[in-house]
Amino acid sequence: MKALWALIERLAGWPAERHHGVMGVFFYVDDAVDAVRALRQAGHKNLSVLSPVPHHEIEQALEQGPSLVRWVTFLGGVLGFTAGMSLCIYSVLSYPLVVGGKELISIPPFMIPSYESMILLGGLTNLLAMLALGRLPQVKLRAPYDPRFSEDRIGIWVPCTGAEAERVKEILRGHQAEEVNLHA
Amino acid sequence: MSEYEAAMSADEVGAGEHAPATLTQKQLNDDVLKMISWPGWLWWMVFILDLAVLAVGFLALRNQIVLGLGVAGYTRPVMWAAYITNFVFWVGIAHCGTLVSAVLYLFRSHFRRAVYRVAEAMTVFGVLTAGLFPLLHTGRPWFGYWLVAYPNQRNLWPNFRSPLEWDVFAVTTYLTISSVFFLVGLIPDAAAARDRAKHPLLKLLYQVVSFGWIGTNNNWKHYYGAYIFFAAMATPLVFSVHSVVSWDFAMAQTPGWHSTLFAPYFVAGAIFSGVALVINLLIPIRKTFKLEHIVTLDHMEKLSKLVLLTSCMVGYSYLTEFFMAWFGPSKLERDLFWYRFFGHYWWAAWIMFTCNVIVPLALWFKPVRRNMPVLFVLCLFVNVGMWFERFVIIATSLARPIDPAATVYYKMSWTEAAITAGAFAWFFMYFLIFVRVLPAFSIAEIKETLVMPMRRKKAT
Repeated sequence: MKALWALIERLAGWPAERHHGVMGVFFYVDDAVDAVRALRQAGHKNLSVLSPVPHHEIEQALEQGPSLVRWVTFLGGVLGFTAGMSLCIYSVLSYPLVVGGKELISIPPFMIPSYESMILLGGLTNLLAMLALGRLPQVKLRAPYDPRFSEDRIGIWVPCTGAEAERVKEILRGHQAEEVNLHA
Repeated sequence: MSEYEAAMSADEVGAGEHAPATLTQKQLNDDVLKMISWPGWLWWMVFILDLAVLAVGFLALRNQIVLGLGVAGYTRPVMWAAYITNFVFWVGIAHCGTLVSAVLYLFRSHFRRAVYRVAEAMTVFGVLTAGLFPLLHTGRPWFGYWLVAYPNQRNLWPNFRSPLEWDVFAVTTYLTISSVFFLVGLIPDAAAARDRAKHPLLKLLYQVVSFGWIGTNNNWKHYYGAYIFFAAMATPLVFSVHSVVSWDFAMAQTPGWHSTLFAPYFVAGAIFSGVALVINLLIPIRKTFKLEHIVTLDHMEKLSKLVLLTSCMVGYSYLTEFFMAWFGPSKLERDLFWYRFFGHYWWAAWIMFTCNVIVPLALWFKPVRRNMPVLFVLCLFVNVGMWFERFVIIATSLARPIDPAATVYYKMSWTEAAITAGAFAWFFMYFLIFVRVLPAFSIAEIKETLVMPMRRKKAT
C-alpha cells in the first residue's frame, strides 16, 4: 500500500531534474518587464517567464510572434470538411439508392454532416496543436517551478552557468527581484 | 496584433464587471479553491437525495428494458413523447454554456469571466444527459451504436439526407468540442489547484487535468492562440446544433412542425432556458460559498438581461407561429394551433406561455433583476415553461395528426416520469461532484481583471 502511495506521489509531480541557470522571482509586473528587456538586451534570448496570468507587457518585451496553432487548425478544418463530404458521397455511390426522388449526390443536405465534421476535426487539431506547440503535457520539468507562480508571483528563468550566471543574477537584482536563486 | 487579451483596468472593464479592486491574486486563489474540500453535511444530504432519485430512474429504466417500450406511455401516433421532450430540453440547456464561454468571449463581454466555468460544466453535463434519451427512446439502448455512420452487412449506409443522421453528427460533435473547451479552460486553474492540493490522489488528478502546466510564456502564447479558435468554432456550432435539432421536426410535413421559423426559434429558446438554469445554479453557489464578491450582483443582472432578451425572442416566435398559421394557406396548421391552446393540452400550452412570456416580463424592472430569491424563483418558472414548450411542440402535433380520426390523448406514464426525474438527478450528480472537485470559477480569467501590482503606478 505504501508503495502505491509513493507511486501516486511520484506521478503527481515531476521527476527530479537538474537545472542550470538563474531564477528571479518578481511581484511587480513592471519590474519583471524591465528585467526581461534588460536580459534580452544582454543577449539572453532563450529565457522563460512563468506567470499566473499572461501579461501583455511581458509578451511585448519578449517580442513573441503569433502562435502557429491557427494554421494547424485551418488544415484540420479543411480535412474535416473534405472527409465529411467524401463520406456522404461515398455512401451514396457505394450503394446507389434513390431516396424520395432526390439526387444521389445531394449537396445541400450533405453540407450539414460535412460542416459538423469540419468543426470536429478543426477543434481536435486545434487541441493537438496547442498541446504540441505549448510542449504539453509537461512530463519533464523544463524550468524550476514554484507554486507561487500560480498565485501572484512572476518567475524569470534564464538558463546559464558560471560567470554568465553571475551577470544574470546582477541584472535580476538590479531590477528589484524579490528572490534570485542560482541552480547549478 | 497580440494573442492575449490585455489585462483590463477597472475603467476599461466597466464598473461591476470585475471583482473588487481590493481583491488580491492570492485571495482569489484562496476564495475559489476553498470550494475544493471535503464536503459538509448539507452537500452529503443533497447528494444522497440526488442518488436516491437517480436510483428510482434506473429502476424505471430496468422496468422498461425488461417489459419493453409499452410501459413508456407511447400511444400511436404519439411515438415521440417525454423522452424526445427531455432530449430537446437538455440539448437546449447545454447551449447556454457555449454561448457564455464562446460567443461572449468573441464579443469581449467581460462579465462572462466570472460565470463561464459553471455554464460550461452545465453544457457538458447537459449534453451527457441529453445523449441518454435517443438511446432510451430506441427501446434497445445496447444497439445504440447503430446510430453511428457505418454501413450494415449489406453495405447499406445510413441516410445522410435525414435530419436524424445530422443530429448524430451535430450532438456528438457538440459533446466532443464542448468537453474539450471545458477541459482546456480548466488547464491553468487545475495547475493552481494542484499547487495547493494536499492529498496525493487529488494532486495526481490536477496534474493530469493541467497537463503539467507551469504557465510559461510559451504555454500562454499557444493556449490563447488556440482558445480563440475554440471560441470561433464553438460559436457557429452552438447555432448549428440546435438548428439541426429543430430540423428533426421542421423537415417533417406535420402541422405545427413544418416551419422555417424553427431554427432561430429553437436557438433562442435554448439560450433562454440555459441562462435561466445558470442563474439557478449560480445563486446557491455564490451564497453557500460566500462568493458574492466574485460573482457580483452586476453579473447576475447581466445574465437576467439575457433571460429577458431571449424571452422576448421566444415570445415573438410564439406570436409569429400563430400569425403564420392564421395568415397561411393551411387549414390543418390553423386547426393545430387552435388545438394547442384550446384543445386537450390547453393547460400545457398556457403553462408554456405564462412561464416563458408573461412571468419574465418582471425582468424589465431592475429591483427584480437584483433580488436573488425572486430571480431564482423566476428562473425556475422559465425552466418549467421551457420543458413544457418542447412537450407542447412534440406531443400536440403528434396527438392531433392530419387525419382527425387518429387523434389521441397522450399521458405521461410513471416510467417516463421516473426516468425524467432520474435525468435531472443524473445531471445534478455530475454538477455536485464538479463543484467540490474542480475549480468552479476561472481563477486565471478573473485574475486578468484584477488590478495588477505595478511599482511605478504605486509610486505616483
